[in-house]
This record gives sequence, C-alpha cells and structure tokens, in this order.
Amino acid sequence: MNTDMIGRIKILVVDDELIVRESLIGWLKKTGYEVSAAEGGRRAIEMLSEKDYDLIFLDIKMPDMGGIEVLDHIKANFPQTMVVMITAYGSVENSVEAMKRGANDYLMKPFDPEQLTLLVEKLVQQKKIIDENILLREHVATRVKYEDLVGAARCMRQLFDLIGKVSKVDSPILLRGETGTGKELVAKAIHAKSDRCYGPFIPINCGAFTESLLESELFGHESGSFTGATKAKRGRLEMAQGGTFFLDEIGEIPLKMQVDLLRVLEEKKFHRVGGTKEIPLDFRLISATHRDLVKEIERSHFRQDFYFRLNVIEIEVPPLRKRREDISILAQHFLDRFRRETNKPITGIEQKALELLEAYEWPGNVRELENAMERAVVLARGRSLTRDDFAFLLRSSGQVMPQSLKEMEKIHINRILKLCQWNISKAAKLLEVNRTTLHNKIDKYGLRPSN
Amino acid sequence: MGLISLGPMGEVAVHVVAANIQTILEVPVDLLGSIEVPAHSFQPQRQQYDAGLILKHLVRLPFPNHARIIALTSVDLCIPILTHVFGEAELGGRVAVVSDFRLRHNDDGTFAPLDRYYERLAKVALHEVGHTLSVYHCSDSKCVMRFSAKVRHLDEAGLYFCERCEFMVRESLKSVRTAVDD
Repeated sequence: MNTDMIGRIKILVVDDELIVRESLIGWLKKTGYEVSAAEGGRRAIEMLSEKDYDLIFLDIKMPDMGGIEVLDHIKANFPQTMVVMITAYGSVENSVEAMKRGANDYLMKPFDPEQLTLLVEKLVQQKKIIDENILLREHVATRVKYEDLVGAARCMRQLFDLIGKVSKVDSPILLRGETGTGKELVAKAIHAKSDRCYGPFIPINCGAFTESLLESELFGHESGSFTGATKAKRGRLEMAQGGTFFLDEIGEIPLKMQVDLLRVLEEKKFHRVGGTKEIPLDFRLISATHRDLVKEIERSHFRQDFYFRLNVIEIEVPPLRKRREDISILAQHFLDRFRRETNKPITGIEQKALELLEAYEWPGNVRELENAMERAVVLARGRSLTRDDFAFLLRSSGQVMPQSLKEMEKIHINRILKLCQWNISKAAKLLEVNRTTLHNKIDKYGLRPSN
Repeated sequence: MGLISLGPMGEVAVHVVAANIQTILEVPVDLLGSIEVPAHSFQPQRQQYDAGLILKHLVRLPFPNHARIIALTSVDLCIPILTHVFGEAELGGRVAVVSDFRLRHNDDGTFAPLDRYYERLAKVALHEVGHTLSVYHCSDSKCVMRFSAKVRHLDEAGLYFCERCEFMVRESLKSVRTAVDD
C-alpha cells in the first residue's frame, strides 16, 4: 500500500448498525484513512452534499433508505466515487444488482481481513491511476489550449492561427488589447511555439517602474553606478539573450527611455548603467499596450520611429465582450483551477449564474472574470456556483441610493437593460420576469437605449 | 505498562511478551495477574469473543498506575466486521488485547514450532501496543506495524518497528511519560 496516497483518501461508512460502523471505522483509521460515518442513507446523502468522498462502504439493507437507492444517487451525482457494498448472508442477489448499477465490489460481513485489505489496496490504486489520468488529460488539454489561452470563439481561433504563423519568424510583434485580455499569455504562447522556446521569456511591465528604476531594470548596472548600487546587476535585456523579451505596457515608457531603447534595438547592443562593456543583443521583441499608440504619437507622448520599430507585426487581442461564447469555457477553466487550489467540492456553475456571466460587460476582461470566479469559489457555500455567488457584479459603486421603490426599480431595470445591450429576452431572464412585463416596465418608466 | 492474562494463559508466553515489550520499547512491564474472560463478550453465533467488548471491559479495570494495559488470552477473537483478529486496540487508546488462538498453527493447518509461536505472539503484542501509541498500519512489510491478515504475514514481518514507526512510538512514549508524571 502506498502510504503517500493514504492521507488523501476520504472514506465514508454507511451502515445503520453502530457496531459495524465503529468496527470498520476503527480498522480503517488504524490503516491511516480519513473516515466518516453515516447512520443511514439519508444522512449519507446529506454528508455527500457537504464533502467529497473517494470511497464509500455502503450497507445494502438500511431501514430509512435502501443501499441500492443510495448507490444510484452516488453514481448519478458523484460518478468518480468508488462504492463497496456491505452485504450479509442472504443478500447476494442484491449485491449482484448493485454491481450492475455501478458498485465497485461487495463484501459479505464479517469480512475476511485479507480480502478487505486487498480490496481497499486495489481501490486506492485505482484512484491513483484515475487521478494521474485526470492530471495528464488536463496537462494535454492545457498544452492544446496554447498555454492557458482558452477560447473557441471565431476571433480566438483566428488568434491561435496567427500565433502559429508569427511564432516562426523573429520579427518584433506589437500586441494590442484592453487590460486583462491576456496579452502576456499570447506573448508566452508565441514564445512557446517559436524556435526560441528553449531560451528565456523575460517580461517587464514598463508601467510598474519609475524612470530611473526602469533604466536599471532594463539595462542593468555596474556596482557604484549610483547610490545604493553596491553590486553589479544584470538587466532584463541581458537576461533575455537567446529568448524572448516582452515589454508590457509599452505605452507607459517615458520618452527618454524610448530613445534609449530605440538605439539599442537598432544597434543591437547596449551597456549597463555606469558600464563601458558592450553587450550584444539577441532576442525576439514582443511588446504590448492597451493604449492607442497612434493617438499617443499625435499627442507627442510616443515616438513614431520607436512605434515603427516595435510594430512590424500587429496582433489584436479581442476583449471578452467580443467573444461571449468563450465565457462559459473560461468560467469552467477557472472553476477547475480554483476548485483544485481551494480544495472546495464545487461541481459546477448553475445555468442562471452562467447567464449572468454571459450578459455582464466585463470591462476588466478575462482577468476580471478570473477574479470573479476566484471570489465566487472562495465564498461559495453550496456545491455549485449560483447566481447569488456573482451578485457582486451587479452592485453599483458610488451611487446614491434613492428612497422610493419605484426609483430603485427604474434604476435596476435600466442597468440590466444596459448590461444586456437592450436584448429584451436576456434582460427579462436576468430580471426573472416575462418579456411582456419588461416591455410594460420600459414603457412605464420611459426607458430608452442610449446611443 | 501492565500485562494481564484473560483466562488461562501459559506463564512462559506471558513472560516472553513482557520481555519483548520491555526490550524493544524500553518501558517497564508489570505482570498484573489473571482475570476471567468477560462472559458477555462471547458471540454464540460466531463462537468467538468480541475483542471490542473485551477492550471496553479492560478500560474499567482498576489499574490507575499503568498508562497502558495489554491483555493476553487464548480465546479466538473477532470484531463485528472481520472474521477474526489476532489482536485489537483502539488507536491511541489505553488498552489492547492479544490472542494466541490462531498463532499455534500455520496457514496450511500444520503445527508451528514453539519458537515461531512465541515470536508471533510477541509481534502481535508489539503491534497492538503500537496502536495504543497512535501508530498506524505500516506499508513496510518488515515492520511490526504492517497489517497481518494471515500468520504468514506475521512471519514475514520483523520483531521491530521501521524508522518511521519507531520515531512515532518514541514521540508517543514521551507524551505518555509526561502525562503519567503530571
């Protein structure tokens, strides 16, 4: 028996006889398993709604609810959970029926100790293989999903196609897209598919540093080059040798730095701050911005020559609202991740919750969806995510609440209509009224779409 | 630690168990005499004695100066879910019971030599004492804490704890000694 697995196996013993429960639990605990008990079928079902179990020992004959009925419930709702039926002499027919309905095995009490040990060992091994299989499939799926880029929408398929093409050439790429659309993930995907994939991927967020710190971060410095520089430090340009250099939020780079970078990119060499040694450049440049750089050039915030140096290939990363069909896939992807990280037994997202997610505007794009899913998973009380778990998305911020019920209703309906871009069917669904009622309310409050 | 016989039990067997526990665990073992096997623990439909009921009986015995009580018996033991057990103890509990009923014969029914029988008895006793010190079953086939469903498994196991179980035993004994001193 692999003791590494034992601590993680959760077992539930379901039997109406106290001495059987105590006896089996005692043996299982001595073998190191985490064990719980239920005195009947109904209690077992309650406990299953609160926690996941890997293995259930289930008595076939119980007064409140028969073992077969409980087995059917388990197989319908928790197909991964293994079940061993506990039978007594004379219940063999029921045991065979149970096997047909998906039970993993049955044992007649009293059990032969060797039989029990071998059975549990076998099931633990099965679980290990299933778990490994799931991990492998997730790993494969992740790779197929372009390293965490998830999407089936047409614009995403076009993006994946483009990534495949541009990754094979070394030309600089400019990624344009709103905040939170996954520009860094796109950059990583391009790097992963390129010939430089075995080299480093070095990112730097230009908006996160002051000008002097940014210079040091980019170019590195020699010791003594400024107050506090006690040791020499390699800059990120140097660290990116042989790989990909990702300049995020390129629109935030000060003009002076743009000149320095432009010179470096054209001459393909640079010095560390305070240094004299020339360091050759060898990386592929990818930059990203949420700004409209053409407008920034017009405002003299961005150099045109630098822009042309960065923008040999331009890729638009679409906002989430332009790929609503991906919301449910993304939500499931994040649910899987956060469920694993928090170890909470959340099995899915209810339809009404999905409808809300699909209707919401997502100004913060995929990052906002990710944060919303994390929050919902952490705070969820049930086994699936409901609409209430995402109610925080609908709350207005900074608005003064009116006193009257009529005014509140008008504001709320108006907000939901805007959220659904005046799609009456969607809005009616979210508001949980029929279309006629909604039309009446729109007329009553004189609501109109704003262009 | 105290050692008590439940019903008639060979004196040599009792001394062998006491000596092994003293040597391997480095704890003093007092011989506490003999008492009857509790009649209510007999299961007529199984013709065996319920080890769980025996433990409940042992817990009520007046031996306040002994942190652990090990009972030796010659009757066949069972627990409700298993056909038989060689011994029984609650994890971290104060009492344990060990039976030699199934240790005198090999799995094929042949008679085991005396030294083999004593060795098996000592191993089961150490195993159950290990449980009273909160040590789980071990996957190391040579460790005395491995679960032995058959006597051949007992014969494969050593008379000693593996490193991990030894560590757990020592840590538990420290706590037991501290509790006794308090």
